[in-house]
Formats: sequence, C-alpha cells, structure tokens
Amino acid sequence: MESLHSINRLNPSLPRTLFIPCNAQIHSLCNRNRALHFRVSCKLKSSLDARKNAKLVSQKILLSEKVPPPLAEEKGDLAGDGGEEAGKSGRGGGVGLVKRFSRRVLAVLSNLPLAIGEMATVAALMALGTVIDQGEAPGFYFQKYPEENPVLGFFTWRWVLTLGFDHMFSSPIFLGMLALLAASLMACTYTTQIPIVKVARRWKFMSSPEAIRKQEYSDTLPRASIEDLGVILMGAGYEVFLKGPSLYAFKGLAGRFAPIGVHLAMLLIMVGGTVSAAGSFRGSVTVPQGLNFVIGDVLGPSGFLSTPTEAFNTEVHVNRFYMDYYDSGEVSQFHTDLSLLDLSGKEVMRKTISVNDPLRYGGITIYQTDWSFSTLQILKDDEGPFNLPMAPLQINGDKKLFGTFLPTGDDDSPKVKGISMLARDLQSIVLYDQDGKFTGVRRPNSKLPIDIGGTKVVIVDAIGSSGLDLKTDPGVPVVYAGFGALMLTTCISYLSHAQIWAMQDGTAVVVGGKTNRAKAEFPEEMNRLLDRVPEIVESPSKNPEGVGS
Amino acid sequence: MIFFTLEHILTHISFSIVSIVITIYLISLSVDEIIGLYDSSEKGMIATFFCITGLLVTRWIYSGHFPLSNLYESLIFLSWSFYIIHMVPYVKKHKNYLRAITAPTTIFTQGFVTSGLLTEMHQSEILVPALQSHWLMMHVSMMVLGYAALLCGSLLSVALLVITFRKVLRIFSKNNNFLNDSFSFGEIQYMNERNNVLLSPSFFSSRNYYKAQLIQQLDHWGYRIISLGFIFLTIGILSGAVWANEAWGSYWNWDPKETWAFITWTLFAIYLHTRTIKNLESVNSAIVASIGFLIIWICYFGVNLLGIGLHSYGSFNLH
Repeated sequence: MESLHSINRLNPSLPRTLFIPCNAQIHSLCNRNRALHFRVSCKLKSSLDARKNAKLVSQKILLSEKVPPPLAEEKGDLAGDGGEEAGKSGRGGGVGLVKRFSRRVLAVLSNLPLAIGEMATVAALMALGTVIDQGEAPGFYFQKYPEENPVLGFFTWRWVLTLGFDHMFSSPIFLGMLALLAASLMACTYTTQIPIVKVARRWKFMSSPEAIRKQEYSDTLPRASIEDLGVILMGAGYEVFLKGPSLYAFKGLAGRFAPIGVHLAMLLIMVGGTVSAAGSFRGSVTVPQGLNFVIGDVLGPSGFLSTPTEAFNTEVHVNRFYMDYYDSGEVSQFHTDLSLLDLSGKEVMRKTISVNDPLRYGGITIYQTDWSFSTLQILKDDEGPFNLPMAPLQINGDKKLFGTFLPTGDDDSPKVKGISMLARDLQSIVLYDQDGKFTGVRRPNSKLPIDIGGTKVVIVDAIGSSGLDLKTDPGVPVVYAGFGALMLTTCISYLSHAQIWAMQDGTAVVVGGKTNRAKAEFPEEMNRLLDRVPEIVESPSKNPEGVGS
Repeated sequence: MIFFTLEHILTHISFSIVSIVITIYLISLSVDEIIGLYDSSEKGMIATFFCITGLLVTRWIYSGHFPLSNLYESLIFLSWSFYIIHMVPYVKKHKNYLRAITAPTTIFTQGFVTSGLLTEMHQSEILVPALQSHWLMMHVSMMVLGYAALLCGSLLSVALLVITFRKVLRIFSKNNNFLNDSFSFGEIQYMNERNNVLLSPSFFSSRNYYKAQLIQQLDHWGYRIISLGFIFLTIGILSGAVWANEAWGSYWNWDPKETWAFITWTLFAIYLHTRTIKNLESVNSAIVASIGFLIIWICYFGVNLLGIGLHSYGSFNLH
C-alpha cells in the first residue's frame, strides 16, 4: 500500500511538467516518461500481494524520478522566460550536471589501477629524490648532469632544474602527485569501501544447500545438528545467527572495516603534514654558555599560516652547557641547562635538555642538536684570564676541530708568532709552539701550567656553546592522531572476515564458508571445528528439526 | 672477557648447526624426504634459535643497551626474526611451505653474519647520543621484524613465479644449450615429481592439480606473511617518526633511509592493493612482491653502504 501512495504522490507532479508549452521533442520525452509510469503502476496492480515485488516497484519509481533532470534542463534552455518554475528547474539541471560530472570524476579517481599507478609514481619520484643530490646550487647540477654527456642518454641538468628535482620533496610534481593520491584515497573510500561495509553488515542466510556448497569451502556433516554447530562456532568466537534450519555466522568483521580506517588515517596524516608545512616556525641558534636569546628572534615562519604566539617573547638563558664522555673519551651525551624568562625577567621554566629530551613550553620545542667550542680562557704568564675565541677548522671527516692562536712577543713585528691550540672537544687542548711543533696536552681546570718558548700558559676553562633547534609545529597533534589510528587500523586489518553458512538438510548439515584474507588457515580451522561437532547416533526419526531457537 | 668467550662459543655453535641443517635440507630436497632426518633438522633449527637468543642476550648484558646499534647486530636480529617466523608454524602445528623458505633464508643470513666479511664490526660499539632512547628498541626491532617477514613473503612470491614459469624456463633451456646445465637441477626435481605422480591413475590432471594447489598455497601464505610484515613495517616507520620528532626536531626529514623505508611501504601497499583486484592473477601481485625483495635490500643495505643521511650509524667501514 505504501508504494501505491508514493505513486499517487508522484502523479500530481507529472501534469505540472506537461503544462508548459513545449515542442514535439519534449512532448515525446514527456510521453515516454508517462509511459514508464503507466508500466510501473500496471506492475504494481499485478503484484500487490508480494512484498518482494513491492520493493522492486519502489526501486523502479526511484529510477523514474531520476529520468526527469535532462528533460528539465532542456526545458529551462528552451523556455528562457518561462517564469520562476522554469528557472528553478534549470538550476536543478545545473546541479544535476555538476553531480554527474563529480560522479564521473569520482569514478575515475576511485579506479584502483590509477591509484596503484599513483603510488608507483610517488615511489619512483622518492627513489629519484634520493639518487639526485638535493638542495645543491645550480652549478652543482650543471657539472653533475652535463648536456654533452647525459645520464642514460637523455637526463641532463635541464630536467633536474625545470622539473624541480633538485628539491624533490617540495617540488610541485611530487606534491601534486601526493594531492592526487589523497583525492584517490577519498574517492575510493567513498565509492568502494563504504558500500562494501554496507553489504558486509547485512546478515544474509542462504536458503538452499546448493548455494552453500558453491562457497570456497564446503563440507557436509552426516547425522549432525545445526544447533551443535552453532554452539561450537560460538565457542570459536563467531557471532552466530540461527533462523529455522539455516545458520549464518561471522567473525572478524572489524577486518573489513579497518581498511577504511587505514585510508582515513592516511588522510589525517596528510592533513597534519600540510598543517605542519604551512603553519610552523623553525630556527636554529648556537649560543655560548652564559648568554641569552629571544625565541622570536630565532624562529622564522615556514608557511602562510604561521602566526607568532605570546610565548615568542620569552627569553632563553643558557646556564650551562656540558658533555658526558665514555671511558674511551668519546662523547656520550650533550646537556644544556636552560632557563626561560618572561618579559619581566621572571624565570618561568628551567630544564636541562639533552639529545632525545627536548624542552617544551607554550607550543615551542627546544632541541639539543649540535655543539660548538666558543672560547678558551687562559692565563698567560699569570696574567688574565684572557678569552680566546675558538674558530671551527674545516677538515675532512665528520669530526669537529677547533683552533685558536695566542700571539707571543712583539705585537708590532710584521711576522706574528705565537702558540696554536687545537681541540676536538671540551676535554683536552693540544698546544703547539711558535714553530708548529707539538708541545703538550692540557685539560681545562687542571691548573697545570705549560711552558712554551718562555711563555707560561695555564688553561683555565673551555667554554662551549650549545647548538639548539627551535620549532613550533601545530600539525604534530594531528599527525600523531593519524599515526595512532594508522597503527591500530593496520593491525585490525590483519583480521580476516570469515563467514559461514550452514543448513540442516534432513539429518545432514551442509556447511559452507569463505574468508577474505586467511584463505590458507581457514579450511584448517574449519576442519578442526567441524571435527568437534558431535555425531547423533540416535534413530533418524528424532532429528532436531523442530528444536528451533 | 667471559662475555666475549661466551659470544664466541655461541656464534660457532650456531654456525656449525646451521651448516649441518643446510646439508640435511639439501639431501631431503634432492634425494628423498627422510622423516628422521627432517625431524633432526628441525631440532637443529631450534637449537640454533636458542644459541642466537643467547648471543643477543649476552650482547645486551655486556653492552648495556639493546643490541641493535650497528649493522652486524641488526643482521643477527634479522636472522633471529627469521627463526621466529620459522618457529611459529612449528609451534602451531601448521604444515606449510613457509618453512621451506625460512630455513634457507635464515641459514644464509646467519652465514653472512658470521662470515669474515664483517669481522671488524663484530665488537659492540658505543651508542651515539641520538640513539640513546627507549625508542631504539621499539623502532629498530619492529623495522627488522618487518624486513624479515616481508623478505619471507617476497621469497614465497619468487618461488611462486619460478614454479609458474618453470615450463617456460625449460623450453628456454632447451633452445639454449648454454643454459641447459643450470636448469638440470629443476629437471631432476621434475623427474622426481613425475615418478611420484606415475602411481596415481590420472597422470596429467593430477600433476596440474598439485601444481595449482601449490601455487595457491604459496600465494595465500605469501599474502599472509606480507600483511604481517606490513604491520611491523608500519609500526616501525611510525615509531621512528615519533622518535625523530623527539631527537631531530621533525617527524619526517626525507632522509634517504626514511625515504627508502617509505618506498618499501608504498610498494607493499601496492602489493596489498593488487590483491584486491579480482580478475588479476596471483602472478601479477607476485611480481610486485618480487620487486619488493630488491627494494628491501636497497633500503636495508644500500643506504648503509653509501653511509649517507642521518641513519649512517651502522655503515660499513670499507677503508
């Protein structure tokens, strides 16, 4: 009856479209439309009693409702001054067009081979980004990829520079590819995955043993009862539904939903990454022990969304910088004792940071990343102390080397002579005399004087400077949420969605089942479970058909 | 000193057992499956597993940190992970083809680790400041477990490809006399199979049936183990990102090792997606997984070999 009403509701709208003066083409279209309705109503009358068919009819009606948009569109174009109604329907047609277009785009984007192609391209670009040296000056690429001798016969510096491969991970091609991938992710989730869930959630009983036998796994248990099977499946963690002689059981439904979660988590990470790129501040500073800096002076914005906060006015004071050493003399850890002072000079926070243990204050994170040798305090012939600035010396290798020079003798003579001091770390200073010959090694604080060419030198202290990285990153909470979701959903995705159908067929039980992932383990598990179903040894007249649940 | 001696003993015991086990495997593969020999090789694998566990624990105790700070240690851990993957079906009493892949892989890794190539890396090194974190255990163990599982899975796929295309290869070898020798081993196996199958009444159909079944089994197990490895890889990469945010100031730096791990991740994501295309044969996804085999080695070794980027802790010293 409901569907009959809907027909009645639909019919009054039909004459309205007919009132408008229109040409023959539209007439024919309208007629076709009307004919369809007639057919529908005929069908309805013939099969009013069958509920299944009623459903079918209502679907047909929906279908006929979908037909009008092209008609309305044409009408809007032809009857330009057709009044308000025509205008309205014209707009509706525009929406329809947009809808159709967006559906086409969705269909293209959710195409799995395309998505796979995108992933492969992203992977290839990343690989290329590690092969080509990143962030060098153009001259470097002129030399490395010369035009007269191209790599692989075609790859020259023109390719690198025009395509932006010298900064691959921020190049428009790479970012565009990622954006396309994100669009595909969204489209695929929307058009493919969510419908799968809708289907998977439906419990469907199978009504014929033949259908059950067609499943990937099937077996027949003679002289068994479906209730026993249900109990055993329940014991194995299945959700079991019994309706008359048929049984439906499933397990691991979450494994079907989880891939959607994986996609959403990927999108969340991408959003977080975009926020990070657009809204963060970064900066690094090397501060000698005992000096101050203001956070806002160090930080530079990275994107258009970067906005400074109140905490940028905070001043940072480096109370102390020191290193821990292993017995072998190698550095084991760097520490910096920092005090944060607000505008009035009051200490708001104090912490000793080290690598892997940053300081966080008001959205700003301060990392210990580097170190340097600032000054050497010495006594020269018991005078001083003098502060000698240490200069970093470039040598091949990763290890740092610092050096300084203490002039001796005449300051006015054209040839300045003096003592050279070199240091690899803050622990020991190597001293060389005026002729460049090695004279000795002294530790700071040892108070042990060394005599070099008549000059008595005492090394009082070695003052290091702490290399700090500062940043604010509003994207981190989003990205971390994405990370958490991705880990969780990837783990859940390992679950296999197993479905089992069974039916009491006389004294026998026909069992069939399928699973989406653990296709190798599933038959083994099923065999194990079915072995435990008890065999009924009583006379066949007492079979449990009437037990019902 | 006692630790060094202990480590030395454990290394040698495990290597000796492994050599015996590989001999047994070769015998049972080429001649016949002797149940007793097979069982003893299984016992050998278990003994080696305990030796390596002991080795790792010893290193952990005397170095004071989780033994994953350089390439040698991570290789030991890799072969330990292979043993784990090898042991799990044994404990769960599954009979599958995974074990035929894991056993030789373990043996080769173990052989490579203990061979003279990397002797100068054997001594445990001090931890640089950036590695002194609790994340080390989580990140590196997950990555290595992931590599191990993915390597096993992709080897299963390689096996699948070899079995599928063996006919083609044989034809190829007939045309080319030079290649004939190299495929004679496959020929012997084939003959073996033939002899067994001759007993059954329907000769051709059953042979094809067994072949198809074998391919299907390889496919299913490869998929399962790659999914598992993918989980480990995901957790490993993400925990690494969180750690990087603590130590280096950013959760992603596009450092070569990071990038290659991501490439590996993307490739296996492609593999998992090719599986969902219904009308695509298992051969296609197997090809993707076989490419993954190469990519993992580039990621695991290649980046360290070049010693570039922030992950250059475990690099070779080739001078």
